[in-house]
Formats: sequence, structure tokens, C-alpha cells
Amino acid sequence: TTQVQRGLEKLTPAQVDQKTAEVVQFFLVKDQKKIPVRRADLVKHVVKEYRNIYPEIMKRAARIFDQVFGLKMIEIDAKNHMYILINKLETVEGASPITNPTNPKMGLLFVILSVIFMKGGVVGENLIWKTLKNLKVDVGEKHEEFGDVKKVVTDEFVRQRYLEYTRIPHTEPIEHEFHWGQRAEVEVSKSKILAFMGEVRIRE
Amino acid sequence: MGDSHRRFLQTMMANGIVDEQGARKLIAHCCEASNTQHNPDKLDDFIETINLKLQPMFMHITKGMSEDSGHQFYALVNMAETDVTRMSSDYADNELELFRKTMDLIVCSEKGNASSTDILNSADTMTTKKLKKSETEHLLNRLVHDKWLNEKRGEYTLSTRCIIEMEPYIRTMYQDQVKVCHICRNIAFQGTTTSVVVLCEKMLQMYKHRHKSVV
Amino acid sequence: GKEKASQLAAEGAAFDPPAFTEHLLSYMGLNRLNDGEDEQPIGEAIGYLPPDAWHKVAQRAESCFRAAPSFHYMMGSFHAEPPPPKQRME
Ligand SMILES: [Zn+2]
Ligand SMILES: [Zn+2]
Repeated sequence: TTQVQRGLEKLTPAQVDQKTAEVVQFFLVKDQKKIPVRRADLVKHVVKEYRNIYPEIMKRAARIFDQVFGLKMIEIDAKNHMYILINKLETVEGASPITNPTNPKMGLLFVILSVIFMKGGVVGENLIWKTLKNLKVDVGEKHEEFGDVKKVVTDEFVRQRYLEYTRIPHTEPIEHEFHWGQRAEVEVSKSKILAFMGEVRIRE
Repeated sequence: MGDSHRRFLQTMMANGIVDEQGARKLIAHCCEASNTQHNPDKLDDFIETINLKLQPMFMHITKGMSEDSGHQFYALVNMAETDVTRMSSDYADNELELFRKTMDLIVCSEKGNASSTDILNSADTMTTKKLKKSETEHLLNRLVHDKWLNEKRGEYTLSTRCIIEMEPYIRTMYQDQVKVCHICRNIAFQGTTTSVVVLCEKMLQMYKHRHKSVV
Repeated sequence: GKEKASQLAAEGAAFDPPAFTEHLLSYMGLNRLNDGEDEQPIGEAIGYLPPDAWHKVAQRAESCFRAAPSFHYMMGSFHAEPPPPKQRME
């Protein structure tokens, strides 16, 4: 901390604000595709020569996300120092007059997370592919809305840290299984998934 | 700044642009959601409160007019170009090149539009990685979906969101080509020329109203 | 909520994926092509989904996610060269 204080003394408040703004922008840019921010990238591409005051800049950026955007900066991986933004505002009853555009991929992700959760936290990939096939999404074919489904599920959702896709050891041929990723653990409400499960069942 | 402002800002992030009526309803909704007093007359004050906080990040909620309807809109725009803002990942470099070529075509055209054929032809002159015909068509669909372009019967125009956000860029890049409304000084792409002066849609309507027999 | 959640998850064996997809297809608005007379094997529903089917699920999913909205912009995403200096006739 004394190192940070000494670092701050050598800089003008405007310089620190400018660097903080760049960090905020970097988070916003990475969040366009829901890619977590790695500390190493942040330091290399943005913080650069201000690395000695990195903790102070992160503290200020977190405060801006909290106070201006209603978002929370969270470290989801303490080992690799990865950060994401999640929403602090509760969804409200009563429809908003402006409906936000929806991304159909979130529907796909939601189904996969639900199955993993209902199966106790882990499922073999075959069950996921079979479930999607029943929902008319064939993993071997190009889907109208999702394109390369396998790539979306095992690459995009994994990079976003919504899913973990790991090899089951000692299987021949090779088999994989899915877990919830670190982002899903902090971003997705399990009790709300359960409520949805009930809702779907009641509808019939 | 309270949760009502934050909720409003979040909706602006998700949508990019709202019309004035939408903004009014949205503020009412956001104030209700966070149990705060809401004054319908203070629309611009509400937005100024947010803008004050956005300023250090070079973001801004900017008011502008739709050329088609003359209605007011609010768009959340980025105002800086830095190494960090250029990391934006929505479009690849060659896709951005094609977007700029499309802007060239639209701004330099008589009527402020460009046909898909012209855009496809201009894709042949790209300096970055060339786009195939199908890729260009897909990109144009995405640009319309993301509200950067409008499309009507194969003709593309700049969207209201695009004009609001890109205005400083348009004014510097196309100083000579750009038509400016004689009265309000807004850029007028579709602007109608009444003999010698260019008028934006809103001013044209007022002009027509006053000089019914003339136009 | 959370307790009930882990309790139900622990009973994961009770979860029946084919029944789940069957219910979900109804939720998505599947247009079933059979006349309903002869029951089809579960999980192999014949029919077609409306174009907004996945949007519908996505919209419902949103209330379960505390996702941050993302900021998209055009200006500032590419390098804008200043226009070439004008040739002035003196
Ligand atoms: Zn005007
Ligand atoms: Zn530049």
C-alpha cells in the first residue's frame, strides 16, 4: 500500500482518472462478447507504466461500475486473476416500456445450464447433444440461428466461462463432460432455474 | 445519481437508441422500479445527471433528430478514439472498412443512399481482407440489425443512431460533401433542397406549413 | 430457495431429460404435425418450431441471469484519418 501511495504522489489526479477511464473502457469492450478480463492482459495493454498503482486503479474502476453503471466487478478466478461484470440491479416486475433485444444463444445456454444443474452439477456431453437434438438443434449440422452449434457450446460458452468442458479421464473413445463455469456460478440464479422448471411443467 | 439513472443507462446500453417518447416512459418506469420521485418535465435534467458521470469515460447520451420523422431521439455514444476503444470486437477490420466505404457511398450520393449493388461493387476495392458476396450481404444484415444502417427495398441509408454517434466524424471526413440544414445546422442527408437552401425534414415540414401554396 | 435448489439437484436422478424437452417444446410453441391420435415416442416430437422459439427461451432466461448489459459503439472502433489538407488557390 505504501508503494501505491508513493506511486500516486508522482501522478496528477487527472492522470489517474484517465487511466481509470481506460480500465473501465477495457472492461466494457471485453464484455461486448462476455470475455472475462485477465489481470495480465489488463496490465499489458492498458495499465502499463501505471502498474505500481494497479490496486488503486482497480478500486476506482470498481467504484465507477458500481456507482455509475449499477454493475459489480467480480474476480471469478483467484488463481488466474480473471474478472467479470455482473448486474447489481434486480429485474423488476412489470414490463419495461423498452424491450431489450434478445440473443437466442442465451436460450441455448440456459437449457444446457438447466440440464447440468438438474443432473446434480455434471453431465456427459452425449446427454447434452441428445437433449439439443430433441429441441431440433443438431450438433453435427449448421443451425440457422446458432451456426456451428458445437463451437458455440464447447468454445464460445467455455471462453465466456459459462461452461466447463473437460475430458473424462481414461475413456476410449474420448468423452467429455460439462460443468457450470465460474461465470455461471456468480451470474445465474439456481432458484430461478427451478422456478422455470416448475413453470414449464405446469404449462402442459 | 441513483438506481433510476443506472437502470436508464443500462437500458440505453442494451438498446443504443430510444425515441423521446420511449425515453419519457422509460424514466417513469426506472423511477417506479427504484421508488424515486419522478418529474416528467425534467427529462433533460435526468439525462444530464447521467452525462455528468459518463463524461470521464468519454461516453454521452446525445440528443438528435430522425431525418425521416423529425422526432427527437437519444443515443448512447462513444466519443473517444484510443488504443482501448479500437479493441472493440463487434466488427472485424475488413468489416469496418466496408462500413466506411458504405458511408462514403451514402454521404457522397445525391439522395443520401446507396444500393446493395453499389456496396457489393465497392467490396471489390477493399484493401484489407476481401469479403465474399455472401459475407457482404450477411454483414449488411448485421449492420441493419445493430442499428447502424437502415434498409428499404435494397437501398441503404445511415440510421439515426449512426448519424448521432458519427456526426463529428462525418463533419470532419466529409466537410465538402455534407449538406447542412440552413436553419438548424443539423446534417441533412435526405434534406430536401428548396431552390437554393437545404432544409432538414423538420424545417421542411415547418416551411411547408407556413407556405402551403409554395411547396 | 437455495436449500430447495440443492435438495432438488441432489435428487437429480428424478430429473427426466426427455420429459423436460417435451415440456420445453410446448413452451417454445412447437407446431405439432400429428393429429394427436397416435402417441409419438417421447423426445421425438414431430413438428416445427416458430422462428422466435429460441428468442422466447432467451427472454425467459434473462430473468435468471444477472448479466451486465454491454456497450456497443461504432465511432472510435477504427482509426479515422483526418481528411487530406485542402489545396488552396491563392
Ligand atoms: Zn434543420
Ligand atoms: Zn486515430
